[in-house]
Amino acid sequence: MTAVSQLALLFIGAALVNNILLTRFIGLCPFFGVSGNIQTSFGMSLAVVFVMMMASSATWIVWEIVLAPLGVGEFLYIPAFILIIASLVQFVEMYLRKSSPVLYRSMGIYLPLITTNCAVLAIATESAKPGFFKMNIALGASLSLGEALVYTLGVSVGFGFALLTFAALRERLELAPVHRLLAGSPIAFLTAGLLSLAYVGLSGWFGL
Amino acid sequence: MDIVLIAKAVGALSIIGLVTSAVLSSAARRFHVEVDERVEEVAAVLPGSNCGACGNPSCFAVAEMVVAEELPANACVAGGQKVANGIGAIMGVGAGEVAAIVSSRHCGGGASCIRSFGYAGVRSCAAAHKLAGGPIACSFGCIGFGDCERACPFDAIAMDERGLPVIDLEKCTGCGICVRECPRGQIHLLEMLPEKAPVVVRCNAHDKVKVRKGNCAMCCIACKKCERECPSDAIHVIDLLAVVDYAKCTGCGVCVEVCPQRCIDLYGRGNDAMAADGAGATCGLDVTLGRGA
Repeated sequence: MTAVSQLALLFIGAALVNNILLTRFIGLCPFFGVSGNIQTSFGMSLAVVFVMMMASSATWIVWEIVLAPLGVGEFLYIPAFILIIASLVQFVEMYLRKSSPVLYRSMGIYLPLITTNCAVLAIATESAKPGFFKMNIALGASLSLGEALVYTLGVSVGFGFALLTFAALRERLELAPVHRLLAGSPIAFLTAGLLSLAYVGLSGWFGL
Repeated sequence: MDIVLIAKAVGALSIIGLVTSAVLSSAARRFHVEVDERVEEVAAVLPGSNCGACGNPSCFAVAEMVVAEELPANACVAGGQKVANGIGAIMGVGAGEVAAIVSSRHCGGGASCIRSFGYAGVRSCAAAHKLAGGPIACSFGCIGFGDCERACPFDAIAMDERGLPVIDLEKCTGCGICVRECPRGQIHLLEMLPEKAPVVVRCNAHDKVKVRKGNCAMCCIACKKCERECPSDAIHVIDLLAVVDYAKCTGCGVCVEVCPQRCIDLYGRGNDAMAADGAGATCGLDVTLGRGA
């Protein structure tokens, strides 16, 4: 396989086959929290793509230049990565507020919200720390920075895709004649389960 | 060995922490955005209940718009004059008169209104209204199944024994939800009036006087007695219905006295609203099935 098709497979594998929300069930809080309407879930998806890309590249670099050379990465990666992601998001928020108020308004509250999202930490860790990336694609022992970025882009686009699909379904559910005992969150959970089945069907393809 | 590892761990985290905090603190200075202090101050004066009566999404959004001078100091409907004065002081402008509004009902018929057919369906005004315009003969009056009572988020509306909604003006915030929920709100059965509206006409009928007299004993018969007797030229019969001009009305109560149908009530927060609402409420017609039977 050429390098390009390998990266394409990596992207598809991350976005669809191993969809972070619907087959791996990481980062479910925004999946239920902000999927009420398409507008807000779009803002959330944008913010997730943005933050995940920033977080992955930052943690990859910090792993390479600080944690791995000092030999402390094995037990220090979680606090270090959380520290990096949190301050990165803070920085981005300040920068956006100054330079692009429009973008700041559209991402709004979602930027600080996903600082503590488990999906962001999971993908940052998988990208940066060797041995955490488990997808069955023939790559080296650890991801290069380019591969890490493609992988992160795939995951975050998959996140946004699943979130938007689910938000669209929930908007329809608002109008559907749902029994009152199932109305609201219960029917949302059932819908998420059915949606997840569709994605799990792909898992034969280089699944985890 | 362990000591070295601990030292390395502490060193690694300290390096990361120092670098990020240095970057953040310089960024905070470099990307500092001036936020108008008055936004916080105005937000503190506002009730903060995000009731939405003013039509804006939240109290904080109102604060931002007030400071940006997109809204006047008296933008808060629920807060009243006190909040308006507070905002006016912060913004350095006059508070302005607060045009507080309350809900009112223009019908005195209720359970005593003549029925045009027996209705055994869902006890909802909206459903009944869709069925041939509702079971009551007057197509302008109150159907009386209490959609407004259920819709009111402030518990300010109660259906009384006449089958009419009585609005507790102490609780009414003027949000207007009852008017939107009432199937006849569009034709002003329920209507938002100025808070200090002293009188209210308990009739909404626009059909022929003869027709409405057959439906209801309390309707406005367009006799123009109130129009003639009003000392301040504030009440006029327009399209066969008495209409009060609240800009001119002084609340003297002459129209309430002279109305032969007793379909004008004293109203407004100045009066004992609950008592006043029940004042003119007897209907001589029997409740019978079948029009005029």
